[in-house]
Amino acid sequence: MNATGVRTNTPTVDRELIDMMEAVFAGYRSSHDSGPADARIDCDRTLWHRLDELGLVRLTGSEQSGGSGASWRESTELVTAAVRHGVRLPLAEHDLLACWLLEAVGQDVDDAVRTIHVVSRPGRPQALTPWAGSADRIVTVWRSDDGYRVADVDATEITIAPGHNLIGEPRDTISAEVSGWSGHPVEPELVAELKRKAALVRAIQVCAALDCAIAASVEHVMSRSQFGRPLAKFQAIQNLVADAAAEAAVARSATEAALHNALETGWLADHLDFQIAVARSCAGHAASVVTRNAHQVHGAIGTTREHRLHEWTRAALAWRSEYGSVRFWDRKVAAAAAEAGSASLWALITGTD
Amino acid sequence: MTTALRRLVPPASSANPVADVLRTQVREFLAEQLAAGAFTPSVDAWLSGWDENFTRSLARQGWLGMTVPECYGGHGRSFHDRFVVTEELLAAGAPVAAHWIADRQIVPSLLKYGTEEQKHEFLPRIVRGECFFGIGMSEPDSGSDLASVRTRAVRVDGGWAVTGTKVWTSGAHHAHAFIVLARTAPMDSAHRHAGLSQFIVDLAAEGVDVRPIISMNGGHHFNEVILDEVFVPDSMVFGEIGQGWTQVTSELSFERSGPERFLSTFPLLAAALEQIAPQGVSHDIEMGRLVARIAGLHHTSTAVADALQRGEAADVSAAVVKVLGTTVEGDIADYADLRTGDESEVESSWADLVSHAVDQRPGFTLRGGTNEVLRGVIARGLGLR
Repeated sequence: MNATGVRTNTPTVDRELIDMMEAVFAGYRSSHDSGPADARIDCDRTLWHRLDELGLVRLTGSEQSGGSGASWRESTELVTAAVRHGVRLPLAEHDLLACWLLEAVGQDVDDAVRTIHVVSRPGRPQALTPWAGSADRIVTVWRSDDGYRVADVDATEITIAPGHNLIGEPRDTISAEVSGWSGHPVEPELVAELKRKAALVRAIQVCAALDCAIAASVEHVMSRSQFGRPLAKFQAIQNLVADAAAEAAVARSATEAALHNALETGWLADHLDFQIAVARSCAGHAASVVTRNAHQVHGAIGTTREHRLHEWTRAALAWRSEYGSVRFWDRKVAAAAAEAGSASLWALITGTD
Repeated sequence: MTTALRRLVPPASSANPVADVLRTQVREFLAEQLAAGAFTPSVDAWLSGWDENFTRSLARQGWLGMTVPECYGGHGRSFHDRFVVTEELLAAGAPVAAHWIADRQIVPSLLKYGTEEQKHEFLPRIVRGECFFGIGMSEPDSGSDLASVRTRAVRVDGGWAVTGTKVWTSGAHHAHAFIVLARTAPMDSAHRHAGLSQFIVDLAAEGVDVRPIISMNGGHHFNEVILDEVFVPDSMVFGEIGQGWTQVTSELSFERSGPERFLSTFPLLAAALEQIAPQGVSHDIEMGRLVARIAGLHHTSTAVADALQRGEAADVSAAVVKVLGTTVEGDIADYADLRTGDESEVESSWADLVSHAVDQRPGFTLRGGTNEVLRGVIARGLGLR
């Protein structure tokens, strides 16, 4: 091969590590069901401690700070395994967002379960905070007169109004009176990085859920027979599954491309905001098609609590609307395109000037 | 617990700084050509933009037959480099139809199945932009069902006599030769794909009659090619007699995953940023969806190109690109059309782009394998059939 054809191989994650993650979540689900539909889920501390013992709850934290020193690639596998087994925990919020930020500003990190909260600007509606009511500490970011500040706040010192998203994950309203807090300064670049990471986490979760919904659909249409043959043999059924799978595949390409670029540039590339918006748009629209088609091929059984399809379809719908709605991300992409203009639209898409 | 889904598309590729340099070179060249008035950006220019001067200027840059080894007059570049160059050309709406089939399909096919004589005969001329090819697969009674072709090749002294009718042969009225899929043994209904062979047929040969098929907007790209006992010497048998089906299908990934499967209307999308109420575009969520989708497909298509470079099978991932890519090409035509008409004066260049896109649109999801057939390919990849 010519030298120009050589491409850097994307690092892959150790198979044994992935198998271990799979085994933990599979074992957990063999003794725990998904719970009642209308209830707010809590963080299962027993499972959390088990994951902690295995070095999985601070997977990407530095080893000096008590983390496992792994990367987002390993973390993506952890989050994906949790999604596959329908296990809801604040793994991403704790490790990838809250503890990462504390470490980045030079603060100590202990064994407490953490989540992240960014205080909205005055007059703007307060965004919901994931897992606030289940966390020990809430890493809170706010804007003071002299720039951004962050504090690692004891959850008992904050007023938390509980709420939850479509799949019962805590999405709480926080009333934080930050005027009395001192906190530590945070560079605006770190706050921008935090927002990128939060947005991309949800794209990764949506992609994982969509793949599971499609795998479940494949399994169902292969095993269920009607009119004397498996559903899979009907062209109309094949088309529904094929369209869903194609949508999910493109969403995954866009999400992986954004993640590669983030990791290769230390989350600093100018192009990253656009790539993440693209990933969120593709994943968000894919969720519509996959949810519709997966349920259509499952028939009425897929609409029941008993069947597991909803663990992936409802999750995808919940996550695609967090840290920005699909409309929000579509507008981000449109605004970037309008700013680039006709002559530079293609350069925007390829990320090369 | 459900089993993990088998990946349909290879993992997204990492950054490729070398390719980025090439991208910039092509972009600068295109900006110069545009400034010099060498071409007007157009929709679907890989089918309808026949410009042999432009093709030769690309050849001078070394951007034709890039993957051809130097011993056949080529440049020994990677498939990925070719992918980058074609993406840039299509995004700019450059007229690339003249060499498109030769460069995309005939080069990899010749490299894989051609004899030494055929490689020396055609590859250097393709690289120089002097030899153009067409494809002779479809027939009046064989569209998606290629195995049903009725064109026959009969053994004669020193070669084969080919008789039959081929349709939808783009550029046959300009091209030098085309590759014809013909039956060399009677159809066996138990083995429908057996008994097919490929031949390189000189379009100027005796017994070849090229008749135009005029498109609904008056354009002339397609032709019907009637072959009446056309003599094809043994030296122009392509690949192996009886292996035609394997040869045709093994090259389909090159035809189905390329940037022409999602960028055919990109010049229209780019122009829309300035034509459609400029102040409104930045809030237009449909514009956002379309741009994001093109960007996503750029990543998917790049991943497929890298898989092809590594020699991996890519028929399923190519089908993914083509189903969603050709659909969004049509969505872009519709997006522009739905937003045109309220202004009393429409720029004629914009009106031309929109009407051309609307007229070409039905073809997007048909050519190179209908989306219905490709969904079947994806379904097979998922294990459903």
